[in-house]
Amino acid sequence: MSEFQVMRHIFFLSVLCGFLGWCGISSKILSAEQQYTEIEVIDGGNVIGNVKYTDDLAAVGLNLYRDWELSDTSKIPSEKLIFSKINNGIKNVTVSIKDITEGKKKVIPTIHPIIDQQNNIFIPHVVPILTGTTIDILHGDEGMHNIHTRSMKNQPFNLGTTYKQRISKKFDYPEIIRLSCDLHKYAYAWIVVFDNPYFDVTDRNGYFEICDIPPGTYKFQVWHEELGNLEKEVTVHPKETTSIEFVYSQN
Amino acid sequence: MKPKVLLDKIGLWSATAVASIAIMFSMAPMNAKAEFKVPTEVTELGKDTYKKYCSPCHGEEGKGDGPLARSMLPKPRDFSRGAYKFRTTPSGSLPRDEDIYRTISFGVPNSTMIPWDVLTEEQRLSVIPVLKSFSEAFEVRKPDPPVEVGLMVRPTEKCIAEGKKIYEEKLECWKCHGIEGRGDGPSAAEQEDDFGFPIKPFDFTTGKFKGGSTPQEVYLRFTTGLNGTPMPSFAKELTDEERWCLTYYVMSLIKPEETKNK
Repeated sequence: MSEFQVMRHIFFLSVLCGFLGWCGISSKILSAEQQYTEIEVIDGGNVIGNVKYTDDLAAVGLNLYRDWELSDTSKIPSEKLIFSKINNGIKNVTVSIKDITEGKKKVIPTIHPIIDQQNNIFIPHVVPILTGTTIDILHGDEGMHNIHTRSMKNQPFNLGTTYKQRISKKFDYPEIIRLSCDLHKYAYAWIVVFDNPYFDVTDRNGYFEICDIPPGTYKFQVWHEELGNLEKEVTVHPKETTSIEFVYSQN
Repeated sequence: MKPKVLLDKIGLWSATAVASIAIMFSMAPMNAKAEFKVPTEVTELGKDTYKKYCSPCHGEEGKGDGPLARSMLPKPRDFSRGAYKFRTTPSGSLPRDEDIYRTISFGVPNSTMIPWDVLTEEQRLSVIPVLKSFSEAFEVRKPDPPVEVGLMVRPTEKCIAEGKKIYEEKLECWKCHGIEGRGDGPSAAEQEDDFGFPIKPFDFTTGKFKGGSTPQEVYLRFTTGLNGTPMPSFAKELTDEERWCLTYYVMSLIKPEETKNK
């Protein structure tokens, strides 16, 4: 083999290696981005359900009051665990599908969800959103507040705000973010960011509903700020509504 | 003018021009050297320097849990969240390398973080990638561009009075820092940082501002806030001029006669 041929082989080999390397890198990037594929869901099923606590709630050992130093008669209940006396349903629990890879289109709301700081608390207390959503945080009190978030992937912020101020922030990564006011210790809220559109937050009786799920078996996950996570496998049938129940208990 | 003299003059001018250009070019690399170069990756020098000088307080994995940390308050910074107090970048943003280098070199007054100017410049620079490697935030996010420091306002009596009004009425800074700026406001006792440790609002009367004591540096604290602490940014809340007035007002709270004893 002449010297020229050897050089030509080396050249082609290096080009090939470069191309393969590029393919590897780009497929890695794509696989990171293609975790969720949008498809048209024609025969999707729905899942409705309830999240509740069975045992005696006092046994959880939680302080359910904001201002613990006051006497029992003057105490104001905190928002960290709100449950219905009718069915033991728990409010403010997020429900999501953990391992879904394809499904309905992600729709980012053009009208921004609002968190309002009123009477020294944040309303609502738990806001589930899709990645890429912008939230408007309003200031409805005459006094001074600050809005302080703690997050790793989404850029945290800590801004002082006064009456009628509106702050808009976009959240790009799935994460559970605590939002608080350092001037009012009991004032805090949660922004829960999901990377797929299959999620909901429970109402005051602990009910939720997730619609248009492609048929299949999925892992459903619930999260509560004090009670933690629960998981359950659920099979969704075409054009049917499946009913499930999550139960937090001490055991 | 005779042609020969003219030619001589042109020659002299060109020689001067060539010489000055040569000087300029020879100066350029010197200036470039003056700008610091942070290693892009963690080096052995960086690891050794961190282990020897930083880890006793900040911990081997940068979690602020070194053997000396127990007896300290404020606690050494936990680098795992990428929350750095003293920056030139907006609230919540990661710091620029220059910001980290500044804190290492000048230290943090009123705390156990001493100025590490005893280390060589190379050692101080080599620690920066080590600190960044402790937090995944540096993999996901990038530091924002530095905030603009607006045109400085003169510290007139009117300006200081406006600063007082902001301190007492508009922002209610006194709730944490106290009416006299001693860090003893009604909300002071309940303040804690992002890591759950109690944190004392700054006592302005000491005059030892943690991020630097020049008006520009104090102004930056109001503009950028202190990440990881309850101190917010007022970049959206106050105009540029108002932030300068507040700067001069809090600097007017320094009590030199008390500071001597502290």
